[in-house]
Amino acid sequence: MSRHEISLTVNGERYELEVEANRTLLQLLREDLELTGTKQACERGDCGLCTVLLDGVPTKSCLVLAVEVDGREVTTVEGLSRGEELTPVQRAFIEQGAVQCGFCTPAFILAGEALLKHNPRPTEEEVKEAVGGILCRCTGYRQIIDAILDASKSAKK
Amino acid sequence: MPLPKFDYLRPQTTEELAATLAEHGADAKLFAGGTDLIVVMRDKLVRPKYVIDIKGIEELRELSWDERRGLTIGAAVTLSELIASEVVRERFGALWKAAGTLADPTIRNRATLVGNICNASPAADTAPALLVLWAEVEIVSANGKRVIPIREFFKGVKRTALEQGEFVRAVRVPNPPEGAKEDYLKWGRTRGEDLAVVGVAGLVANSGKKLVRIALSSVAPTPLIVPEVEGVFKGGGSVEGQIDKAASIVVEKISPISDVRAGKEYRLHMAGVLTKQILKRILGAS
Ligand SMILES: Cc1cc2nc3c(=O)[nH]c(=O)nc-3n(C[C@H](O)[C@H](O)[C@H](O)COP(=O)(O)OP(=O)(O)OC[C@H]3O[C@@H](n4cnc5c(N)ncnc54)[C@H](O)[C@@H]3O)c2cc1C
Ligand code: FES
Ligand code: FES
Repeated sequence: MSRHEISLTVNGERYELEVEANRTLLQLLREDLELTGTKQACERGDCGLCTVLLDGVPTKSCLVLAVEVDGREVTTVEGLSRGEELTPVQRAFIEQGAVQCGFCTPAFILAGEALLKHNPRPTEEEVKEAVGGILCRCTGYRQIIDAILDASKSAKK
Repeated sequence: MPLPKFDYLRPQTTEELAATLAEHGADAKLFAGGTDLIVVMRDKLVRPKYVIDIKGIEELRELSWDERRGLTIGAAVTLSELIASEVVRERFGALWKAAGTLADPTIRNRATLVGNICNASPAADTAPALLVLWAEVEIVSANGKRVIPIREFFKGVKRTALEQGEFVRAVRVPNPPEGAKEDYLKWGRTRGEDLAVVGVAGLVANSGKKLVRIALSSVAPTPLIVPEVEGVFKGGGSVEGQIDKAASIVVEKISPISDVRAGKEYRLHMAGVLTKQILKRILGAS
């Protein structure tokens, strides 16, 4: 199997790594970089829990090869807060009780962040559409959608 | 669980891609968005020795339109890029709509239109729209280039007209006929992400001779167009009656199966219902 030298930026930090061809971005993040905020579940694109931002774009990392991200920028949930200071989306998730078991939370927060960056005042339908690829088994989604809507209102214009 | 082992190749030009396929074609799989490929590799349904990533080839990123040639969609263009295109939304409504029903926005950030047709699932959501728009597939290999109509591209469940060593460079969609209205309806088990129980694309053009095209997914081994409905509005009788006639022709020409998503009888029934619905919508909008 081929091996490849790659360099990538994860949460603002640069890494030079050697990866085997069959390594997924999800494995690279969790196993090599020990960033376990990104969750591993179905590994076939269905659940969305492995969602990260690839050059700012929400992407299911179980369907991306590590070798492909050479030269690119990845943001995981660990890269959002500044120290103790949470983002408006993160705060809204806590305030709305949008977190139960928490397994889906990193994915929803990242999808919410990406949405608000491009569309600071989304409608409820737009929020639903944006998080449509992520499953939550606990909350019933209502609180998650409300949290993202709340964050859109509380963020600075 | 790690994926099975393979070598990863990333050609930079279509010439290099053609040469790589000529050398390794039998043992290689092309890798666009990977939203089908990685899943079947994980299930060990395919075990390529070489995975050839086409996303490094600038030429395949082409998404362009001109008055004469119509729309060109390169093999590396994602569905999100297609949906963001104003020309696609304004001039190729059925295709734009269909692209927006495929999976979810996160998948669409990676998945390509060309990957959708090359995967050749009977449920491929973009296929019915491409069929009613009479799209063409540009196929390239080390030996040259050929262009075939999309209706000759699908050969069976997960089988296409591609020969070993060939790849799809782009899909070309000619401008729809004068005054055409088109739409796509996807009937699924849920409003969320799922493959279609039945998908129907319709096109009605009015240029003197009322042309009708209907194509469907998930009702036969391949997505298919039903050419027999083409003249259905030409005869006499009420529009209602003509629409009913189109639906009964469609139901007669399809051969759905029962699977986890729906029974055969339900699919037959819904194909008729959706054909009526889409024609009413299109006529109502014109
Ligand atoms: C969660 C989930 C939901 C989905 N929902 C839907 C849905 O609702 N509707 C639907 O239609 N599909 C759906 N799909 C299937 C898939 O996302 C689409 O078929 C997608 O368009 C495939 O594009 P890709 O670029 O990811 O293809 P890839 O996986 O990269 O490739 C697909 C196949 O085509 C071949 N190929 C790719 N490019 C070329 C080329 N240029 N020339 C020749 N062969 C090529 C590959 O070798 C592979 O066999 C879903 C998939 C997932 C994981
Ligand atoms: S783990 Fe990637 S989508 Fe489920
Ligand atoms: S909070 Fe448990 S899966 Fe969403």
